[in-house]
Amino acid sequence: MNARRFLVWSMILIGFGLQALAYLALAAPLGTPTDVSFSEPRMPFAALVFIVGVGMVFAAAIVYELLPDRWLRRRKPQR
Amino acid sequence: MATTVRTLPTERGRGGRSWYPVVAILLLVLGVGIYGYLQELSEGMVATGLRNLGPQGGATWGLYISFVIYFVGLSFAGISIAALIRLARLDTLRPIARMAEVLTVICLMLAAMTIVADLGQPLRGIVNLFRYARPQSPFFGTFTMVISGYLFASMVYLYLEGRRDAAVRAAQGAPYARFLRVWAAGYADTEAERERHRRTSFWLSVAIVPMLVTAHSTLGFVFGLQVGRPGWYSALQAPAFVMLAGVSGLGMLIVLAAIARRTLRLPERLGPGLFRSLGLFLFLLLLAYLYFVAVELLTNVYTGSVREREVMAELLGGGYAWLYWSAIAGFVASVALLLGWLVLARLRGSLWPLVVAGLLVNLGAVAKRFLIVVPSQTNGQLLPYSEGSYAPAWTEYAVVAGLLALGALLFLGFAKVFPIIPLPDHKDAARREP
Amino acid sequence: MTRYGMVIDLDRCMGCRACMEACKVENSTPPASFFMYVFRLEEGEYPSARVSFLPRPCMHCDNAPCVKVCPVGARYKREDGIVATDWDRCIGCRYCEVACPYGVNTFNWMDPRENAYLDWDDEDVAAVSGGAVPPYRNPALDEPYGPEQRRIAGGGHVRGVMEKCTFCVHRVEDGLDPACVQTCPVRALTFGDLDDPGSAVSRALAGRHGFRLLEEVGTEPRVHYVGGAPPGPEAREVEEPVAEV
Repeated sequence: MNARRFLVWSMILIGFGLQALAYLALAAPLGTPTDVSFSEPRMPFAALVFIVGVGMVFAAAIVYELLPDRWLRRRKPQR
Repeated sequence: MATTVRTLPTERGRGGRSWYPVVAILLLVLGVGIYGYLQELSEGMVATGLRNLGPQGGATWGLYISFVIYFVGLSFAGISIAALIRLARLDTLRPIARMAEVLTVICLMLAAMTIVADLGQPLRGIVNLFRYARPQSPFFGTFTMVISGYLFASMVYLYLEGRRDAAVRAAQGAPYARFLRVWAAGYADTEAERERHRRTSFWLSVAIVPMLVTAHSTLGFVFGLQVGRPGWYSALQAPAFVMLAGVSGLGMLIVLAAIARRTLRLPERLGPGLFRSLGLFLFLLLLAYLYFVAVELLTNVYTGSVREREVMAELLGGGYAWLYWSAIAGFVASVALLLGWLVLARLRGSLWPLVVAGLLVNLGAVAKRFLIVVPSQTNGQLLPYSEGSYAPAWTEYAVVAGLLALGALLFLGFAKVFPIIPLPDHKDAARREP
Repeated sequence: MTRYGMVIDLDRCMGCRACMEACKVENSTPPASFFMYVFRLEEGEYPSARVSFLPRPCMHCDNAPCVKVCPVGARYKREDGIVATDWDRCIGCRYCEVACPYGVNTFNWMDPRENAYLDWDDEDVAAVSGGAVPPYRNPALDEPYGPEQRRIAGGGHVRGVMEKCTFCVHRVEDGLDPACVQTCPVRALTFGDLDDPGSAVSRALAGRHGFRLLEEVGTEPRVHYVGGAPPGPEAREVEEPVAEV
């Protein structure tokens, strides 16, 4: 598991995590609306968090391709 | 790379004599569209032909919403082609991959703009959607998954897929070299880079294909879940939306590929094998879609609730019959044209049957979207309101025409700056050499 | 918790539409926009035609499709049962309008200040109105209401937003009845707490066979009808409204 793969997998998992978090815990709750709480997000801009999550998952592809080898090699100790 | 510079064609529009008049006309239409929207902004939505349902006897969703669905539908083309190439290994389709992705990106942007054009409070709408969007509303899926997710994913795909060609063109000293170098971001065409790109585009295709289904289904759910709207409430809406999206997207792609073939003079790269594949896919999707149409027709004609039968009666023999039967005739004619083209060797010598079929299915798709949106509002009231009516006003036609012109301008602009047909890569070169 | 509802006695309703007028004056709704609407229906053909009247306010459904589809939560269900529209948050997408099976929603197609019933600047009108433009608009309509303190009362506030019957929330919070209920000359409309056995609505419903409109659609409306039957499939409006914005 090299640094590039680790970074990409982290982005994907965090991205999906943000989506799940926003959908289930931050945005307005699901269910038959019986009071105003069903029409209010539990955190404002929860939809933006969701979209950032979606964006992260796909931006991971750009990171995977574009991350220069030099940046990764510099991490490793000189032999 | 240096030795191939001299032999690689540019695969790019040459901006010949027809370029400037076409762009001028498109800019004019765009101007009319902007003028129409400004009218709508200053007067309010009363400038449209839309009116309230019920006592006002109008339709509140009309031409704009019809085109929102149509534009999202067209975006089916890009990712389905990319998926077919990467996942089904259909390399014959590679030359149109970029064109399809650009079509997807442009159409999703147009869809977002059309939604905003339809809002009563557009600025508030943009902010409040990010701030308050509710997952329970079918619009949440349209807003987050379709407009934001699907669009971003397609842009990422287009960007990564274009890096190699950007590097090649920059090395060749093409205009806009600085922009091309930024796009290429140091692409080196080494085996390692190519391998990485192969892997990302495979997994991106895998990730975007489910979005394709969810995107169009979500849009179908906007209508299919409304129990109070006879004609909309149906489990068939979501799948039918996906099918018609495929039909219109592929049809448009065929038309664009035929235009590219003529203007770029690339008969070998955009060859008969490519069009045969496209024609076959369109044929199969069209048959599948007509199956949905037949099922809906038979179900509602055999029996149905009073209100649903009223909506169907309007479609088949009432005020909307001319549009409904024209659309059906267009689809059936396209089936005949495609079948004839695929089967009869004589017809295959020309692309005309394919192009006409592609145009007809797109006109039919616009008509069908309109027929989904409007009749259930004017004639589909559960309470005994009088029949309503809706005719788009000039502002609506102007804005829609302006958006179509904008789409064409963006497409032409892209084709001027960047190769719209991917440059032949080492695999193509290997295939060409004996 | 209070559970507001309305009972409409179709035996009493005579189709005078005073409730529509009262609602319009109370809520300052723009032309062609009716929160309370009364159907004048006929069934059958002469000589055996039957006429009936059906007042139709917003149903304030317990399973309201409009609340479920609102993308930004501007349309919400209060704990007391009133389905309200926050006109500060509404983005004017009109999804609630197409989702409502009853057709109760109206949209502000133009600036309400420019969309009045009379041209208040006209000198003949000004002579009568004393220069007041418009003569009457209840300032209570612009106040926030409810524990959420959202601006939900009345109509004709700002263009590009949705509105509908609010059960006159600005009156109800002061302990008054909605304008339509108060105005009805034959007391066909009753409003109150459905959970309170002594309230006017409970007494109006007691022992009488009632129905709710479009119950089969599953919206759980809060408006009950007694003394009549739901409109049949052959019912049609007596006149075709030509309401123009």
